[in-house]
Amino acid sequence: MQLKRTYIFLLGLILLSSFAVVQNNEATNPIQLLTTQTDYAVGNAVVLKFTASEGEKPLLYCSNSYGSTLVSATLKDNALQYIIPQNITRKIGVVHWKLLDENTSISSQFYMHPKAEVATMETYIGPPSIEAGGSDYTMLVVIPTDSLDNPVPTNTKVNAKFQFLASEENDAVFTKNFISYRNINSKRESGRMLVSSESLGINSKEFTINVWAAIPTDFTIAAKRPHNYADGNQVTTFNTSVLKDKQDNVVSDGTFVTFFITNASGNILKTTGTTIEGVAHSKIIHPDFKDSWSIKAYVDGMAESNTITLDYQSVIDDFDVAFTNKNREILVGPLQSFMEQMIPDGLHVKLLIYKDDMLIDTITKTSFNGYVTFYLKPAVYENDTYNFRVETAGIDKTFNNKKLW
Amino acid sequence: MKETSNKYLIVAILLGLAFHGSAIFFTLETTYDALIHLFFADHYANSWFEPWNYEWYTGFTVQSYPPLVHQSIGLLSMIGGLKFGMFSVALIAIVLFITGAYRFSLMMTANKTVAGYAAILAVFSSSFVETLHIFGQLPSIIGVSVLMHALPEIYLWLKTGKKWYLATSLSLIAVTVTSHHVTPIFGMIFFIFPLIGMVIMDVSREQVNSMKEVTFKIFLNSFFKLFKRIVSFGMLSLVLIIGCIFPYWLNSKANPITQVPIPHGSRDNFLEITSSGLVFFLIPWGIILVLLPYIFYRYYSKRYLFFGLSITICTILGTGGTTSVPLKMLGETAFNILTLDRFTLWASILSIPMLGEFTYRFVEGDLKELIQNKFGAIYHRIIGGILAGLMVFMVVFTMSLNYFRPSQPQKIKMLPIVNFLNQDDHDKWRFLTLGFGDQMAWLSAQTNAMTVDGNYHSARRLPELTTRPIERLENSKFKGVAGIGSLQQFLTTPEKYNLKYIFSNDKFYDPILYFCGWQRLRQLENGIMVWERLNIPPVSSILPKEDVAKWLKIMWGIIPFLTVLIAFVLNIQMLWVNALKTRIKPIPDFLKFPTTYNKFNRNVLRVTHIWSLILAVAVFYGIYLFYLKNDSQRSPENAIIAYYDALDFKEFEKAHSLIDPENQLPIAQYMLEISVTDGLLSSYAKMDAIATEITKHNDSTVSAKVTSQWITPLEKIEKVDYKSLSKRKGKWYLQPDDLNNDLPPDQLYSANATKYFNQGRRRITTQQTHHEDILKQPVLEVVSAKLVQYDGSYAIIGEIQNIDNVPADVILKGTLYNDANKQLATYNAKYHVKHKLMPKESSSFRINFEGIAWSRTQDSIPDTFNPDEFTPIEFEEQPTKFNLQIAGNVSGSDLYKNVVLSAITIQEGSINGNLFNSGIQEITIPQLLVTYYDQNKEMLWVDHLFVKEGVRQQRKQDFEYEILKDGAVKIINTDMQNIFVNGLPNDAIAGKIVPNRIENHSDAQLQKIDHPDFSYIKIEINTYIGSPN
Repeated sequence: MQLKRTYIFLLGLILLSSFAVVQNNEATNPIQLLTTQTDYAVGNAVVLKFTASEGEKPLLYCSNSYGSTLVSATLKDNALQYIIPQNITRKIGVVHWKLLDENTSISSQFYMHPKAEVATMETYIGPPSIEAGGSDYTMLVVIPTDSLDNPVPTNTKVNAKFQFLASEENDAVFTKNFISYRNINSKRESGRMLVSSESLGINSKEFTINVWAAIPTDFTIAAKRPHNYADGNQVTTFNTSVLKDKQDNVVSDGTFVTFFITNASGNILKTTGTTIEGVAHSKIIHPDFKDSWSIKAYVDGMAESNTITLDYQSVIDDFDVAFTNKNREILVGPLQSFMEQMIPDGLHVKLLIYKDDMLIDTITKTSFNGYVTFYLKPAVYENDTYNFRVETAGIDKTFNNKKLW
Repeated sequence: MKETSNKYLIVAILLGLAFHGSAIFFTLETTYDALIHLFFADHYANSWFEPWNYEWYTGFTVQSYPPLVHQSIGLLSMIGGLKFGMFSVALIAIVLFITGAYRFSLMMTANKTVAGYAAILAVFSSSFVETLHIFGQLPSIIGVSVLMHALPEIYLWLKTGKKWYLATSLSLIAVTVTSHHVTPIFGMIFFIFPLIGMVIMDVSREQVNSMKEVTFKIFLNSFFKLFKRIVSFGMLSLVLIIGCIFPYWLNSKANPITQVPIPHGSRDNFLEITSSGLVFFLIPWGIILVLLPYIFYRYYSKRYLFFGLSITICTILGTGGTTSVPLKMLGETAFNILTLDRFTLWASILSIPMLGEFTYRFVEGDLKELIQNKFGAIYHRIIGGILAGLMVFMVVFTMSLNYFRPSQPQKIKMLPIVNFLNQDDHDKWRFLTLGFGDQMAWLSAQTNAMTVDGNYHSARRLPELTTRPIERLENSKFKGVAGIGSLQQFLTTPEKYNLKYIFSNDKFYDPILYFCGWQRLRQLENGIMVWERLNIPPVSSILPKEDVAKWLKIMWGIIPFLTVLIAFVLNIQMLWVNALKTRIKPIPDFLKFPTTYNKFNRNVLRVTHIWSLILAVAVFYGIYLFYLKNDSQRSPENAIIAYYDALDFKEFEKAHSLIDPENQLPIAQYMLEISVTDGLLSSYAKMDAIATEITKHNDSTVSAKVTSQWITPLEKIEKVDYKSLSKRKGKWYLQPDDLNNDLPPDQLYSANATKYFNQGRRRITTQQTHHEDILKQPVLEVVSAKLVQYDGSYAIIGEIQNIDNVPADVILKGTLYNDANKQLATYNAKYHVKHKLMPKESSSFRINFEGIAWSRTQDSIPDTFNPDEFTPIEFEEQPTKFNLQIAGNVSGSDLYKNVVLSAITIQEGSINGNLFNSGIQEITIPQLLVTYYDQNKEMLWVDHLFVKEGVRQQRKQDFEYEILKDGAVKIINTDMQNIFVNGLPNDAIAGKIVPNRIENHSDAQLQKIDHPDFSYIKIEINTYIGSPN
C-alpha cells in the first residue's frame, strides 16, 4: 500500500510539473485565445478566434468522440479564425482542440449541447411475447433523437403509451444517459398489447406484444364412444375441460396433453392431443377384447386431470376352429359380434404354434367376412405333431397333438 | 515431288467433326467428368490468378489439376458462356485427336494411305468414343492427342539432330503437360521410350542393308551415337514436366493424397463384375480385340519391338483386378491411386497405326489378295462386312450406353436452385446436394454459394471425407456404410460446417434428414426438395485459405497459355506448309522406312481366324450365361430374384406378371395392394442382397425361404419371407401373399389441429430482418440430464420440455469434459429425440458421442452395409462432466402428433404393441423412443425403434421391440449446473415460467417391465410423414 501511494504521489508530481511547463510556454507565446464562449447548441457554427502572431497560421487540431481533424486558419480583422467543420459541430459532446504551433501549444475544449427537439424516435421492445400473471415483463427502450441524429438532453420527457384489452395507459418516463426505458409487466389477462411512445410531439410506430396465458392448472376429462363393446373397430374420443392458467386465461392453442390409459392387465397405453380454445381432443381405437381402462391426462410437470374409468364389454364369447387339408388349413370362425353380426374386417387372430412345448412361431392374421384361414406351408412346418393355440378377442383355444402330413 | 492433300485425312476430319461434333451436345453434359472441368473453368473465368476456391470442400486449391483445358474453357466462356467454351474445346480436342492419330500413324508406317485409313478408324475408335462421350475426359484426350503430334517431332530430333525439331517437340510436350499431368509421365514410358528404340533401330538399319542384319552390337553403337540427343531430350522434357506445372507438384508435395483409396471399376475383376469388364475392357478395345494377333505380330517385328513391349504392358495393366499381375507390377499404392482404364486407352491408341495398316492391307493390299486367292472374293466381302458391322455396332453401342444405363440422374434445371440461393441471403450458408450426380458441379459453377461437398475427390480436406472411400456425399447411398455414415455426421452436426440448406433430388435420403432434425422448406419448381436446419450460423465473411506465393500464382496463370502460344508459333509454319503446299519441303526422315506390303503372313491369318473363333465362342457363351441368368421363369430361384428385383425397382407390372395367373389376381387389384403400403421398407429401401432356400415338393410346387437384405437410410433391414411357387407350362410363378383386411371405422372423419405460419420478413427488403420481426426463441426446459456409460460408450441422456406457448424445433449439443475441465468431445442429438415439440410437450433424448468412423485408415472398413453403424468416440481420458446447450427455434412444420399407442403386451424380452393413427395424415415411418428407468424411476437409458411399416389413417400397425438384453448403466454425473437454454442458464429461465414444477409428474404412468437392470420403461412416438397433404 505504501508503495502504491508513493507511486501516485510521484505521478501526481509529474502531472503537476507538466502543467507548470505549459503555463510557462503560454506565457511566452504571443498567440492567445480570444473566443470566450465554450458552450454551443448543436448545429450552430463555431468559430475560434486567436490573436495573430507574425503572420503565422498554425493548424488547429480538434477531436470529438467521432474522430479528429485539422482545421486551417483564416486571417480576418487581424485575428486568426478557425471555423470548426460541420461534422464536428453537428454532434453533441465535448470537443477538444489544440493549436499546433511550433513554439508552443495552446489547448482547451468546448461543448456542443443537445437541442431540445425530437425528429426521430428509435424504439426497441423485447421480448415480443410474455406470459400473463404480472411477473413477466418486456422492456420498451426509446431513444429520441434530434434532426442531426443526436440524443436529446437528459430528462426529456417520453410518453410511453399502452393499450391492453379495455385499458389505454400513458406513462411518462425521462431520458437518462440518452435513452429512456420502461419495463412493462403483464397483467392478469392474456391478450395482445399495443405499445407506442411519444416525445415532444413526435410519435413512434406501433409495437405488438403477445401476452400468452401462463402454465395450465388442473382440469377434468371426459370420454365419448359410440358403444361400449370391445370390437376393436370404433373410436373412443377423450376431451378435456377448458385448460386455464391460474389467472383463468385459456391456455394457448397447441398445448400438448397426454392421456395415459392403464388397462386391466396394468399396461400403459397412451394417446395425445393438443388444445384448441383450451380443449384438447384425443382419440383411441377400442380394444378388441374385454378390458377396463382407467384414464388420466397430464400436462407434464404442470397440471393433471381427474381419473375416469371405461369398461369395454366382450363382443365374442366363443368361436369355432376347424382343421382340414391334412390339418394344414385352419379355419377360424365365424367370428360374430354383439348383435350376431359378422365382426368387421380386421380383427386380429393369432395362431401360436408349439412343437415339443416350445413356441416356434406366431402368425397374426386379420379377419375377413368373419373368418380367418391359416395355411401352414409344408416348407416351413415339417410333417410332425404340433400343438396350436388360437387367440382372438381376449379368448384363447388350445389344440394339442395335431399331426401335419 | 508435288504433295497432294491426303483425301483420307480430310474425310476423317470432316467425319469426326460431323459425328462427334454433333453428338457432344447430347452426351458431354451427362458424362462423368465434363461438368467438373466446367466448374474449374468457371473458377478461372472469375479469378484467373487466384488458385484458392472456397466453393467446394470448405475450400481447396485448383492447383491440384493441370489448368490448360480449364483455362481454355474459361477464356472461351467470355465469348459465349461456359458451355460454349466447353463445346469449343471439345471440338478442338476432336480435331487434335484425329490429326494426331494421322501423324502418329504416318510416322509409324511411312505410308500416307495407311495413315489416312488409321485416321478414319481413329474417328470410330470405341476407346475414343468412350473417353469423350461417356467419361468426358477432355484434358486426357487433349493430352494424348498433343503427345501424338509430338511423336514425329521427337523422332526427327533424335534422327536428324536438328535443333528446330528439339524446339518443336519440347513445345508440344509442354502443352501436353499443362493439359494433363499423367499423360506425359506415362507417355514417356509407353510412347516415347519405344519411339527412341525405333529411332535407334532406324539408324542402325541405315548402316546395313536390311533389317535382318541389324544386330545387338550395331543397335548398341547407334544408341551411343544418339545418346546425347536422347539424354538432352529426356532431361529437357523432365524439366518441362516439372517446370510447366510446378505449382501442381508443389501442391501435391504439400498436400499429399493421404486419403482412403476410392474404389474404381477399372480395378475390379472383370470376370466377376462384368459391368466393369464391359466399360473398362470390352468397349475400349472394341474391334481391336479381334485383330490383336495381327497387332502383336506387327509390333513384335524388329523395328517396332519396343512398341510391342509397351503395348504388352499396357494390355496387361489394363486388365485391372482380373489377375494379380497389375497389382504386382504397380505396387499397392500406385494400383489404388491410378485408374487402370487409361492403360487400355493407351494400348488402343498404340494400336491405331496397325489397325490402319491392317485395314489398308485388307481393303486394297496383299491380305485382300491372299484371302481372295485362298477363300474367294465372297468370303473377303463377308469378312469385311462383319468387321465393318462390328465396328459400327461398337460405336453405336458405346454412344447409346448412357441412354440404356444412365450414369447420371435426369438433367436438372438449375435455375430455380440458383434463384433460391440468391434469394434472401441463402448463399450466406453452405448447401449440400443429394442425388444430383455430377450435375452438382454445374450447379456450383452457376452460383457463388458454397457447399461442403465437391466433385474432385483428390482435393478433399475434411477428415470426415478423406477417411472414407467416397467420392461425394451427394451419392453416398451407393457407397454403403461409409457413405451414409459420413453423410449422417454432416447432417447431425451441420453447424460445424455452416450447412443450412440441402437440395434433395432423391427421396431415399428424406427419412435420415427428418430424423436428424431437418425440416422441409418447399419444393422448387424443378421438383427439387429444399430441406433446412434451424439455428445454423452463417459462414463467416473471412474464411481460412492456404495461400501460395505470388510468383506461383502468376506462373500458374501464364505458363499454360504461353506453352500453347509457343507451340503454335513453332508448329504453325509446318501446318502452313503442310496445308497449303506453299513450298516443297524435304521428306521427313521417317518416311524413308516404308514397309512393303506384298506378302501377308499366312500364319498370322490362320491365328487370327482361330482367335476370332475363340472370341466368338466366348461371346456366345457369355450371351448364353446372360440369358440363363435373366430368364426369370426358368427356375424358382430366378423367379424369386426377378420378383424381388421388380419390386425393388418398382416395376409392378413385371412383378405382377410373375404372380401365378391361376389366382386370377387382376393387375388393378395387385397395384392397389402394393400402392397402399408405405413405410421405411416399401418406400425407402434398396435391396442389397437376397438369398433363397428352395424346398422342393414335387416337380411343379416348391416353397422358398427368401432372406433379403435391404438398405434404408436409417438402418439395415433383414426380411425373411416364405413364398410358394408353382410351375405352369414350364414357367415358374409365385403365389400372392395375404392382405391385411383391417377396415377403418370411419369413411369420413374430421380433425382439428393448430397450425403455425412464420412470416419470416414482413417487409420486402434486402436489409437484415427487422428487429420486431425476430421471434423470441421458445423457452425449453431440461427436466433432467445425466452423463451415463452403457456398453462401453458414453452418452448424455435426459428429458426436455418445451415450456413456451409456441412449437419449437430443438437442437441439443452436448460436450464432455474430464476432471481437469478439458474438452473431450462434442456432438449433437441425432435421432434419439423428438426434434419438434408442441407447447408443453416433452421428449426423452440421448446424445451419442460418435467418432469419425474408420478414422484410422488401418481399421478395416466392413464390407457389409449398415447405416446404423455406430463408432463410439475413443476417449483418451475419462469424461466426468458434461455441458448441454439447447437451442429452440419456432417451427411450424412436422408437428403431427396423432399417433396412439393402442395396445401393448410385455413378454419375456420383448414388447409387442399396436400403433393407431388417429389423424388425417399417413404416417410413413413411426419411431418409438423407449426410455428405461430403474426401480426408483430414475432415468437410465434411451433407445429407439424404427417401425418398418407405415401406418395408414385410422389403421393399426403392430410392432415388436426387443428389450435391451443386459446392461448395467453406469451413471457418471447428474450435475445439471452446466445446462443452457438459448444461451441462458436452464434453472433460472425455467424457474420463471414453471416456478412450481411438479417433479416426476407422470412417473406413476411408467410401464413396469421384468428385467434385472431396468424396472420401468416409457414409450414416446415420433412420426415421419413422407408426403404431408
